[in-house]
Amino acid sequence: MSKEFVAARNDRPLIQVTRLSKHYSNGHGVIPVLRGVNLEVRPGEMLAVMGPSGSGKSTLLFILGLLLPASSGNYQFMGQNMLDLSRAAQAEFRRRRVGFVFQNCDLFENSTVYENLEFPLVYAKVERQERPARILAALERVNLAHRIHHPANYLSGGERQRVAIARALVNQPLVILADEPTGHLDRANGHMVMEHFEQIVATGDTALIVVTHDAEVASRCTRVFSLEDGILNEN
Amino acid sequence: MRLGDLMRVSIRQLLRHRRRYWGVILAIAIGTAGFITIITMGRDLKKNFNHDLELLGKATLIRVYFDRRPSFEHQWFYSSSVEALRKLPGVRDASLTVHHPWVVGSWEGQDFNCSMLGVDESFWKVNGLSPGKGQFFTAQDMKDRKRVVILGSELARSIFGRKDVKGSKISIQQELYTVTAVLNGAGLGDYTHFAFVPLTTAEDRIQGVSPANRIYLRCRTWEDVEKVAPLIPGAILAVQPVQGLKVEVLWDQLQRVKAIAWWVELFIYSSIVATLILGGVGIWTVMMAAVRSRTREIGLKKAMGAEDQAIMAQFLAEAVCLSVAASLLGSALGWVSVEVTSLMIHSHPGQGLFLMCVILGLLVAVGLGVAAGIYPSLQASRMEVVSAIRYE
Repeated sequence: MSKEFVAARNDRPLIQVTRLSKHYSNGHGVIPVLRGVNLEVRPGEMLAVMGPSGSGKSTLLFILGLLLPASSGNYQFMGQNMLDLSRAAQAEFRRRRVGFVFQNCDLFENSTVYENLEFPLVYAKVERQERPARILAALERVNLAHRIHHPANYLSGGERQRVAIARALVNQPLVILADEPTGHLDRANGHMVMEHFEQIVATGDTALIVVTHDAEVASRCTRVFSLEDGILNEN
Repeated sequence: MRLGDLMRVSIRQLLRHRRRYWGVILAIAIGTAGFITIITMGRDLKKNFNHDLELLGKATLIRVYFDRRPSFEHQWFYSSSVEALRKLPGVRDASLTVHHPWVVGSWEGQDFNCSMLGVDESFWKVNGLSPGKGQFFTAQDMKDRKRVVILGSELARSIFGRKDVKGSKISIQQELYTVTAVLNGAGLGDYTHFAFVPLTTAEDRIQGVSPANRIYLRCRTWEDVEKVAPLIPGAILAVQPVQGLKVEVLWDQLQRVKAIAWWVELFIYSSIVATLILGGVGIWTVMMAAVRSRTREIGLKKAMGAEDQAIMAQFLAEAVCLSVAASLLGSALGWVSVEVTSLMIHSHPGQGLFLMCVILGLLVAVGLGVAAGIYPSLQASRMEVVSAIRYE
């Protein structure tokens, strides 16, 4: 077991965000999106962030995944300051610590399921002979091992999202950031996706932060937050 | 990203989107094939072209003779002088001749006048002349000083009213000569009105003919003419003492031939460069379109941890793979083209030269791929992740 896992299980927070702000500037002035957000996330937690469209839910998720820079505040991941990292170190963080799942079930077209899951391993420079086992293990967690060599274009919407989850898991991240993961799915498939998330988080190694409009999705999470006017409150 | 993964992913990407790349591949392949053909066959094509041009213009012909000033002694060339000239670098062959401007002959009671040349066996090759249906003088004819004659086509027509006169007999200075051929060919020029007899026969039998006093030299290419001409006096003086030696080169014709060749080469090379530039622009356009259409893919890859360099390397590798694939196809086309051209001009270019051209073609393709792919790759690598993920 790696040092990170030991540290994570120490009940120390994975993510510590304090007074985090984000604003955009346009020609007419400054538009605040996040105002003094405070948040702590521990391994095995399943958080939902709810709020109206344009409230900054996705922006918060992107800042946590270092896809967007914060304007001010403090963000620590396992005690390390995340806001001062170089571009290369940010990419390294995304490779090793984070898995993303997006609303649109984004898979690489004209590629098989295997090839989709191989990309994160390629960027993490995982040895080629190790990859099949890790890909198979990730697919087994979403019950799609039988689709391993299937073309991604021919999967159903639910299957595509489950492959996207497996792809987020394949590098064994400590946190999964999911942006409206059931937004484009029907009720049954939405249920299935949430069940997979619950099973993943139940291992106690991984935390999940899910941005959603769906109250039912939020109800399955251990903690629920709402984001309004850039201020994050726990319900 | 490891090099093996980079190449595997890039080749896979090209294969799966091959339809959009066909036009570009074909443009570069044609450019490469042209490049390989021109370089591999260049020397042989030039020789062929040179041969055709020299028949028309005699640009590679050098005439060597004596100044006829009364103060100079009566002079003639030794056969050893001709041998010395043949050994000069760039000389294809040399011929010893003697000229008689006015001989009288007759056929069936009709008199005729003509100029006569006494020529050796090399004369025909040096002047690029063809014997038509007849035959040139043999070595035995030369040795036996035979009374045989070859007529220029116009002279044959003026005497006989036709050209097919092989085997006919005419009288020259009241001795009977057998016609062995009538000269044909584009390079005949003034020789259409000449009669030709073996040099030995002319020296022995034709009254008023002096010993051999003209040498014709044919150079291998027009580039050799300028190098050979200054060497001629020295080569002859090393063999025999001479006075008032004249070396005549048709500089105007030579310059014109060189100008024609220069324009032809310029046209061919410009076409190749234009094709390659078009191919490069094609790669640039296709890669820019690929970057645009794969914006979300770029965003996703960055979200899963791809560094800017990895994204740049992938698009650059795709551009290079594209141009290298085109170059390989061009090499195959070039090989076919070289084989066909070899058959057409009866030439055998070296395999080493062909391989060197293939390697050079591949290097040019890599350069083209990098040059044309660098900007689209930079665009891809500098893309902001969130904008890319949200791109519709």
